[in-house]
Amino acid sequence: MHPFSQLFTFFFILLFSAGAVSAMTVVSPDRYGRVVINNYSSRSGLVPVVFDHWLHRAKFTCRLCHVDVGFAMEAGATKISAATNMRGFHCGSCHNGNRVFEGRKIFGSCSGSVLPEEAERCERCHSLGKEVKKEYEFNTFINRLPKNALGNSIDWEEAETKGLIKPADFLEGISIKRTPMKMDKDVSIESGVAWMSDVLFSHKKHAVWNGCEVCHPEIFPITKKGAIKFSMLQISSGEYCGVCHTSVAFPLNDCQRCHTKPVQ
Amino acid sequence: MTKLRVCLISIATATILFSGTQDIEKQTFSWCGVVHAQDDWKNEFDDVCSKTQDAVIFSPDELRNLIARCDKLKPLIEKLDETQRKVFLKRLQRCRDLFFFALESKEKE
Repeated sequence: MHPFSQLFTFFFILLFSAGAVSAMTVVSPDRYGRVVINNYSSRSGLVPVVFDHWLHRAKFTCRLCHVDVGFAMEAGATKISAATNMRGFHCGSCHNGNRVFEGRKIFGSCSGSVLPEEAERCERCHSLGKEVKKEYEFNTFINRLPKNALGNSIDWEEAETKGLIKPADFLEGISIKRTPMKMDKDVSIESGVAWMSDVLFSHKKHAVWNGCEVCHPEIFPITKKGAIKFSMLQISSGEYCGVCHTSVAFPLNDCQRCHTKPVQ
Repeated sequence: MTKLRVCLISIATATILFSGTQDIEKQTFSWCGVVHAQDDWKNEFDDVCSKTQDAVIFSPDELRNLIARCDKLKPLIEKLDETQRKVFLKRLQRCRDLFFFALESKEKE
């Protein structure tokens, strides 16, 4: 083999391994899907916000927050601020101190002036590095849900199918009334290598949680089947499927969840 | 003279307050025309963006019309205060992008 080819192969394997390792980085189930938000917190003398996806995704669809409320799909891109929250947008859409959900009053997020006795309320979100007592404790919360070895260690799809969670898709005063999405077309995606099964992508399964605009065109600007080729390396770097499946939805090392079509 | 002034002020106040319009279809009444005008963009926004779930079933002409409605809304939203502008421009862009995406898909078919 030509020395240049050997070097090329070595670097290719190194690059692939780096991608694979980063994709398989293990975080504890309660921290899977955690987002740290620090747009203005530090400047305002507060510690950054810690947002755990698991609790919110058990109660609300992705679409509700990422379309109706308007949170970007990229951490930090929404530029959430105390001002937007106080006006009843972003976190303040629900966390306004008045909204009641499942019989509970949702605590208010930011306010212009905070009394010392209210500091505990700020710490419910601005909690990076702090030991904060949460209203919902992860291990207790997941007890009643079907288990999965990876990600949050919850099989969210099964939990939804069995009706153990009923994620709300409408928020009074924020959401727009829409007709239910009718998209059940499955898409077969060729794996590109002979030894790996093809992917059978289910629009129906994804539509339960997302509307069209969560994925199109921002994440998938694909208008024709096979028009854009994407690799596992790109996915594991957080592109395409990796936008959700490296951070919130079941992780990439759960290969058989996507690569379901038998090798021909 | 004082009576005349009071009378004129009363008439002027009544005119401002009752200059609203009645939306028979939606059975709503706005007490002040100014408030109604401010809400117009929101009604239009809700109407346009409520159609995203059906984007794939619209014809190219319908999609072009929806994109044009989004484009007309943009300058109205740009005039809002910073907070509303930030939130609704982002939401509008999502709707428009989806309609444009659906249109491109149809044209490539």
